[in-house]
Amino acid sequence: MRRKLGVPIVLAMLAALALLVPALGGDYYVHVFALVFTNVILAASLRPSLTCGQLNIGHSAFMSVGAYTSALLAKNLAVPFEISLLCGALLATLVGLAIGYPSLRLRGVYFAMVTVAFVEVIRLIAQLWVSLTRGMSGLSGIPKPSILGMTLTSRASQYYLVVGLTLVILLVLWKLEHSRLGLIWKSIGMADNLAQSLGVDIARHKLLAFMLGCFFAGTAGAFYAHFIRFLFPPEFGFLMATNILVYNYVGGRGHFVGPIVGAIFLSLLSEPFRGSPYETIFFSIAMLLTILFLPGGLITLPRKLAELRSWRTASAPTPSPAA
Amino acid sequence: MAILEARELTRLFGGLAAVNRVDLTVDKGEIVGLIGPNGAGKTTCFNLLTGFLRPTRGSIIFDGQDITGLRPHQIAARGLVRTFQLTTLFQEMTALENVLLGLHLHSGKGPRQVLFSRRDYPADEIARGRDVLEFTGLAPHADKLTRNLPHGHQRVLGIAMALAAQPRLLLLDEPVTGMNLDESGHVMDLVRTIRSRGTTILLVEHNMKAVMGTCERIVVLNFGQKLAEGTPSQVSTSPAVIQAYLGTGMADA
Repeated sequence: MRRKLGVPIVLAMLAALALLVPALGGDYYVHVFALVFTNVILAASLRPSLTCGQLNIGHSAFMSVGAYTSALLAKNLAVPFEISLLCGALLATLVGLAIGYPSLRLRGVYFAMVTVAFVEVIRLIAQLWVSLTRGMSGLSGIPKPSILGMTLTSRASQYYLVVGLTLVILLVLWKLEHSRLGLIWKSIGMADNLAQSLGVDIARHKLLAFMLGCFFAGTAGAFYAHFIRFLFPPEFGFLMATNILVYNYVGGRGHFVGPIVGAIFLSLLSEPFRGSPYETIFFSIAMLLTILFLPGGLITLPRKLAELRSWRTASAPTPSPAA
Repeated sequence: MAILEARELTRLFGGLAAVNRVDLTVDKGEIVGLIGPNGAGKTTCFNLLTGFLRPTRGSIIFDGQDITGLRPHQIAARGLVRTFQLTTLFQEMTALENVLLGLHLHSGKGPRQVLFSRRDYPADEIARGRDVLEFTGLAPHADKLTRNLPHGHQRVLGIAMALAAQPRLLLLDEPVTGMNLDESGHVMDLVRTIRSRGTTILLVEHNMKAVMGTCERIVVLNFGQKLAEGTPSQVSTSPAVIQAYLGTGMADA
């Protein structure tokens, strides 16, 4: 049976990390870990859609929408950070509705192709609408995040902000996955025709799961914009989108903590290669190794190790437990 | 009194008429069999009746209401529930969880209630789920993962889930295919019991012994058209049916 890898424990560990990082490391580590948590939000928010069996390779597009919306509102109209972040998330959700509604009937690779094409569309809009986004010159001068009028000037305070956002979002996603809604997502992913035959409106639920992911991807994007304070269209391209997907698969699809583990593990390990061509190679190798040796993802590693140990110690190997 | 009335039901795939102007009536309380050689259009018929395919032409009246063109979940909600060929089940869930998902329809959960309710099912729903498993003989396997159940049990679980959705008309797609004599006997007994509890049944099946022994009326399809209709003995002695199944032999060669 499913093992209770306590989500509260994982969340507590994340919180502990959050408290420790600024104290132990300098601004560099704070910066790196803030991006790690952004990736955690992105990876975890893709999960509902993946659970429904929708292969979404375009999640970075919604991050991009959230990032540009929030940045432009704050920069050009002096909208407070909280409101610009919310607007970014909402616009990402609306765009998700616009792209999700017509493509819902598509399954598997066809849906994936739409999302891939969509990443490019969003990237090209950001690149070519120079008067608004500054195109390939990049959008700079984005205000720092603020809360209730107080600007978060230090790296550490911005870092605490993203940790707080991450914890709240993970809690919401966890609650949803363990509600009946989560069970319906799972049933759609396993056998959508059967779910339909039992009265589940699969179109509606797929769309809901998709838009939920867009909302949180937009949130992550908005934070990213005000944290890095510079937006460059290609950053939200196909590479970023596949990375989010790879976090899910390398971490493991079978449990809520999978994408979290995957995002933390891969973002930290790939940090030395960030921005270089080696990053792509690194992610490809990580994906390949996982598929070959840990098809259930990193979260199945403890069980695999336990199996190996029992193979070594016992003369007769114990039967592997049902997943 | 007819619970289901399909008129001139037609479905074209490109130029091919998979189902061609089929009239099909099922009366309340009947067990009707839909048979025919491979490719005769039986499963397409099921898909049309349950909304998984849209008819190219024709209409479907269920319980006095026109359900033509409705989507599968809407048709299921009206009390027309189907099972699938082979083992289309939620393999990574337990048998009980499968049945509980079947109860989904009648748990009064719109998206809003779904969102704020907990996954833990209320005790009365679990009790209902266990009742369904008891009724179908699967109670001892309630907490086993579905994919670990033997084939026969998996097929019965498919029926149990459909029952949980409280159908007034139950469409069974090959309920005993791949079963041994004992298992198919058990399932056919189950089918009769379900009917005696007030659910009308339309089934597709290749196992002639099961069909002839259980159905009161049989409809034979061939090349998408209705070939014959009648009691088991009428159908099994019909020359047209024998010809469809066994071919015309040397006379045609």
